[in-house]
Amino acid sequence: MRIVYFFIAAILISSCAQKVSRIDPGQQIDLSGRWNDSDSRQVAEKMTAELLNSPRYQEYAKELGKRPTIIVGLIRNRTSEHIDANNYIKKFEVAIFNSNVADLVESETFRDKLREERAQQQDFADPATIAQWGKEVGANLMLFGEMTSETDVLNKQSVVNYITTLFLTDMETNKRVWYAQHEIKKHIRK
Amino acid sequence: MCFRRSKIAKVVAIAVVGLTTSCATYYQTNQSFNQDFERGNLESALATLQSDTKEANSKRQFLYFVNKGLVLSMMSRYEESNDYFEKAFLFGEDYRRNYLNEAASYLTNPNVTTYRGEDHEHLMLLYYKAINYLKVGNTEAALVECRRVNIRLQQLSDRYQNENKFQRDAFIHTLMGLIYEADKDYNNAFIAYRNAVTIYEEDYERLFSIAMPNQIKIDLLRTAWLSGFTDEFESYKAKWNMTDFEVSQTAGAEVIFFWHNGLAPVKAEWGINFVIDRRDNWVYFHNRELGISFPFSLEGYDKNEKDGLASLEVFRVAFPRYLERPQYFQGATISANGSEQPLMLLEDVNKIAFKSLQQRMHLELSKALIRVALKKVTEHQVKKEDKTLGSVLGVINAITEKADTRNWQTLPHSIYYTRVALPPGQSQITLKLNEGGRETTHDFTYNLTKGQILFHTFTSLESRYPNYGAFGANSYRD
Repeated sequence: MRIVYFFIAAILISSCAQKVSRIDPGQQIDLSGRWNDSDSRQVAEKMTAELLNSPRYQEYAKELGKRPTIIVGLIRNRTSEHIDANNYIKKFEVAIFNSNVADLVESETFRDKLREERAQQQDFADPATIAQWGKEVGANLMLFGEMTSETDVLNKQSVVNYITTLFLTDMETNKRVWYAQHEIKKHIRK
Repeated sequence: MCFRRSKIAKVVAIAVVGLTTSCATYYQTNQSFNQDFERGNLESALATLQSDTKEANSKRQFLYFVNKGLVLSMMSRYEESNDYFEKAFLFGEDYRRNYLNEAASYLTNPNVTTYRGEDHEHLMLLYYKAINYLKVGNTEAALVECRRVNIRLQQLSDRYQNENKFQRDAFIHTLMGLIYEADKDYNNAFIAYRNAVTIYEEDYERLFSIAMPNQIKIDLLRTAWLSGFTDEFESYKAKWNMTDFEVSQTAGAEVIFFWHNGLAPVKAEWGINFVIDRRDNWVYFHNRELGISFPFSLEGYDKNEKDGLASLEVFRVAFPRYLERPQYFQGATISANGSEQPLMLLEDVNKIAFKSLQQRMHLELSKALIRVALKKVTEHQVKKEDKTLGSVLGVINAITEKADTRNWQTLPHSIYYTRVALPPGQSQITLKLNEGGRETTHDFTYNLTKGQILFHTFTSLESRYPNYGAFGANSYRD
């Protein structure tokens, strides 16, 4: 009899299909304990709030007499995970763009593409529509960042502390105009 | 009536046996393909695969995809190769256990289930895929494979918590480092190399007696320097006593040369005899030679079933085991620009395959025991009602008792590599394969551009396993 039950159970289980559902992108779901979308979102939100409310940054913009222009420089990842900083940097850029606190200019990858296209236009485009050389807007500030992590492991437990630091540096003076840090600490039990 | 039943029983027996068994192992059932492949007759090997289209929809479809992908890759048909590796990757992603087949396997043998692929096989297919892309200069696509392989590595380390198990792959981390370097993403390359170093030091030396290739130290230091991580650069230099190391900004090009040496192990069948001992509500399956004992609770079984198990004394369980195909060549060097450098062992696929099977041996043995026990109980019950039918079932059970001998057998035994710095323009290198003091050489000419990183693989299909094919001295492929 046991064998019959065994097969009935097998048939019932095998008839269950894979399920996929769409969920709110803001919903926090932690599976492995590694860096995930919720962490990127948290960093982006925290950093944006810090910049928008920074008296030092507002003072800098006032002294400059116009909206500062920012270019994204280097974001260093010193953690042991392959974390794509673009996941929060792009959110941060969108927030800056929409809030009008700064202008953004293209960084290396996209800028080179633009210059390539501009060079092509000189030969092939209608002269009336050609993009001119020497009209790029120079950035006032460059965004830098660094991610580090500290891990403590014992048996099946681990504590990871991710520290994300972003700063804006004046292109002319090398002076840091804005500085922000966000920590995410996780306790993982397996 | 009895005559009719026994006749039906015979017909059923023949049908079941025909459908579920053949005495040959997976290797033996693919003799024609294997012989062609091992002799380097890749066109014929591919033709054999192509003529057997049913395999693409069979329970061995994963093996069909990876074999075809690998053969096409060796024939430099990289795009087609990646089409098949992609199918194998998607198979792994979408794989869901079919519980009906699993249940059937307990009454016949595990070959009725779909072969899902070993952990290291799912990593290796992404290695081939990434290398194929790198060979055609598609770094962007190789990076996609790099991210995929990172997810696979995370899944692997989450699945096994025990540090004595194969749960981290240093070779794959090194590969990730190389891909990131090809993309000039030195930060991620540094992370990948650092992870590889940790795994070589903590796992590979202990589990597989594989020392970390010296090249990785150089790569880690260089990428630390290029990422601006001076603290890490200095601390690793001090750790490895490489205080004189300096990063040279060469204006030249580089060839990353992978040597696939030999062939991965094949699975064979292994019969283990168990002695039964019944005490109270438990039966114990013992094997003294292996020093193993499995308790099996009879709680909840009816009297017939208990009697069925109690009537057993000794029985045989078929279990898979790996057979190594030892490497024919013991080592290799590359000569270029008047200097010679060794190819360093990066991954011992053979040892990893053995380890993978060994670490789940207890689970596999338990499953095999349940399978045989279930078969025997059924046989006992049928025998009580109809002796002839019971006897026929006994014969079926004996014939269908078979181990799962499927595995990816076209993989190399081991992977070696080195990085050769060359000037832009035309350059020639010589690969020297060493076999017991005798050397076989192969020359390669490259046309390199300034700053180019070129990926090259060379496969030696020779192996020393005498029973599975005889090999000529020229059974290699570029």
